[in-house]
Amino acid sequence: MRILALALVLVALVAAGCGDDDDDSGESSAGEGGQEQRLIVSAAASMTEALEACAPDFGDAEETEVRLSFAGSDELAAQIRQGVKPDVFAAANTALPDELHDEDLVEQPVEFATNEFVLAVPADSDIEAVDDLTESGIKIAIGSESVPIGSYTRELLAKLRPAQGEAILDNVRSNEPDVKGIVGKVSQGAADAGFVYVTDVNATDGALKAIELPAAVEPEITYAAAVVKGAKNPRDAQAFVDGLTNGPCAQALADAGFGSVQR
Amino acid sequence: MRRAAASRRIPWFPVLLAVCLTATLLFLTLPVVAIFVDRSPVELIDSLGEPGALDALWLSLRTTAISIAVILAIGTPAAYLLATRSFRGRALVITLIELPLVLPPAVAGIALLAAVGPAGILGGTIDALGIELSLTTAGVVVALTFVASPFYVRQAVAAFAAVDERLLDASRTLGASEARGFLRVMIPTALPGLAAGTALALGRALGEFGATLMFAGSFQGITQTVPLAIYDRFSTNFESALALSAVLVAVSGALLLSVKLVAGAEAMGGWDAADTRAAR
Amino acid sequence: MLRVDVSTRVGALDLDVALTVDAGECLALAGPSGAGKTTILRVAAGLLRPARGLVEADGETWLDTERGIDMPPERRRCGYVFQDYALFPHLSAWQNVAYPLRGVPRRERRARAQELLERFGLGGHAEARPRTLSGGERQRVALARMLARSPGVLLLDEPLSALDARTRASASHELGAVLNDVRVPALLVTHDFAEAAQLGDRVGVIDAGRIVQEGTPTELAAAPRSAFVADFTGAVVLTGTARSGRAGLTLVDLDGGGEIASTDAGLGRVAASVFPWEIAIEPVADEPHGSAQNRVLAEVRTVTAVGNRVRLGLAGPQPLAAEITLASARALDLQTGSRVAATWKAAATRLVAL
Repeated sequence: MRILALALVLVALVAAGCGDDDDDSGESSAGEGGQEQRLIVSAAASMTEALEACAPDFGDAEETEVRLSFAGSDELAAQIRQGVKPDVFAAANTALPDELHDEDLVEQPVEFATNEFVLAVPADSDIEAVDDLTESGIKIAIGSESVPIGSYTRELLAKLRPAQGEAILDNVRSNEPDVKGIVGKVSQGAADAGFVYVTDVNATDGALKAIELPAAVEPEITYAAAVVKGAKNPRDAQAFVDGLTNGPCAQALADAGFGSVQR
Repeated sequence: MRRAAASRRIPWFPVLLAVCLTATLLFLTLPVVAIFVDRSPVELIDSLGEPGALDALWLSLRTTAISIAVILAIGTPAAYLLATRSFRGRALVITLIELPLVLPPAVAGIALLAAVGPAGILGGTIDALGIELSLTTAGVVVALTFVASPFYVRQAVAAFAAVDERLLDASRTLGASEARGFLRVMIPTALPGLAAGTALALGRALGEFGATLMFAGSFQGITQTVPLAIYDRFSTNFESALALSAVLVAVSGALLLSVKLVAGAEAMGGWDAADTRAAR
Repeated sequence: MLRVDVSTRVGALDLDVALTVDAGECLALAGPSGAGKTTILRVAAGLLRPARGLVEADGETWLDTERGIDMPPERRRCGYVFQDYALFPHLSAWQNVAYPLRGVPRRERRARAQELLERFGLGGHAEARPRTLSGGERQRVALARMLARSPGVLLLDEPLSALDARTRASASHELGAVLNDVRVPALLVTHDFAEAAQLGDRVGVIDAGRIVQEGTPTELAAAPRSAFVADFTGAVVLTGTARSGRAGLTLVDLDGGGEIASTDAGLGRVAASVFPWEIAIEPVADEPHGSAQNRVLAEVRTVTAVGNRVRLGLAGPQPLAAEITLASARALDLQTGSRVAATWKAAATRLVAL
């Protein structure tokens, strides 16, 4: 009898595990015949606050449960390459969605927002410009090479005068896997400055302040999203992607500080 | 009258046991095996040669070694005290020491930041002493020590407590001071348990990710340990991530095996209750 | 000389004893478990600090609570043998024995350890780990290890109780020899009165933290001061030489004269024991009657009433103690000097090889 009970518990755990999956909609047991649909969205970490605010509204409107998964866009892309199938992929650049589209993993990407790339420092910091970062002893946190924020940063540094760019790179003390890590390091006082999106600074509610970068070196940041091929819920996925430019999520993004796309 | 059919029934219970074991074995070994067979060994070794990978390996080994050394040096006497003396609040102390065991790594990271991070309680003091912890290798060691020490201390306390206290009494009546008895009797007798604790702590330290990332950051050669390097690489350079994973698995496996050998050899030479009965 | 004077509370036990043991003498404390025997040893060794106590040994004061003196165990030169011997499992026999030899170069340590082991007939087992040795062998290693320290006092905690009956006899003999050789005070505790009687020059019966009576084994058996002592000091022990006799019985020629029979097997030097309450007393003149087969003539030395029983201390070829009812004692009109016959069954006689 006890063995039977144990076996039942095991089976129940396995079933729960199968049905409770954010990124891998492989063997999903929900969403069949009239039950509540589910929408799985993989989005860049910089959109955390905005999408968490608007997803419930979208979900209510479409009668869908929205599951959000945030990480560096590169990690999310890698998961899709490994066969993970969320319904929507929203990245902090256009390169990754385009690559995946070329690899026939997602539908045609849609640009839906822009962001501004800034230098974040603690609210009471003495740092006022990018040039201040060349001083020795300054500790900087940036994104790792493979994550969009990291590649944008390196793009920026490459556009500076070589001596300046090198001096700043010498002061880098951490290559974070996503934008939230950079924000964390600066907020904690571990790093004196970090390159992030303006939306991230906004999300800190005043703990950090943003220093704008010279327009000449400011990289162009465009966010793009696509419906994943083979998604379980393509109908809602398309609606979500559309809603990023026109709907509650578009509004949430704007509130957070994202810019709209110049068509 | 016995039911004639009894001898014909399928022995479902042993079959169920076998099925469970097979499932467990497959589930646990397949991912590990997959690391090694997904790409050819040549590709894996090649990608190890890339500078960041070797840096990460060396950093992981160094920081783990230092943190284990610290854990053993300080944790062993502490465990001895806990195991052999009773005092008010002992149970509370033990619970506090075990607490990091059940903390998720992310919480451990937050805890470290709150305590000894730049904005933490002791942050000012540490800064004033001229010590830098966040974004440094020292910070990695702190994170590893924090998450791994409960694994060791817990085992060590159990190991010391299991030693017959009459052995220590005998040692003292034979002229050895308590310190000498600790070194020459307590530790050798408790060695299997201590080795097991060390193995657990080693494994935990080698694999530590979340607390390290949050507290010390990720920078090649300084703070990017193997787990962090794997995370950094897997989206752009899967071979490299695989290679590093394979090395970590091999190193962890080798460490576990050698600890078992140390513990096993001692267990064979040690006092066994069953042998006591048999010898009578 | 060893002097132990201790008054303390351990758990539910209220201990209050005072004893002295001369050099070369062995005082055996016998009592039930929980009586405080081990506690006394631990206080003497320094493993337990009493509320109030005095321990003087080896010409030094080891403990004096009044003057604040408390020498740690490692500085007291006492040899302690634990009940389960407490041999270090990770060390070989010779390494165990060599453990107390500090400040001695390694080669010499091994030689000294080997010497001690050989003295106990364990020379060939020097490299063996304790778990491969038998109970008797372990006891001897423990003794050798204790002696390696050249102790000034011997403290023995139930030294024979961990052994099976067969080994116990030879181990007891060996222990007796050690006690004789090493001319230091020895304090031994046991729950077995027979063991105490065999090994101790004097025996103290201890109960609930007090020594209720102290004296030679014979004195205790013959004149117990309380029912507890009477019950506890069980057998009368007679020594003699055994040979086989008729009808499967063993005949024992008692030292000092007389012959008794036992249903136990035995040959050579033996100790024959019988419980006092199995001994019947008859007038000498009576013809031997009843199925009792052993008959020893003796003179009454002491008559002690214990409740409704009477303990008689008898002087025969060897001292004897018999226990009879008050009624029988009156009927026989026993007094000091009366000559009587002590009779008991062969089946009630136990033999132990000496």
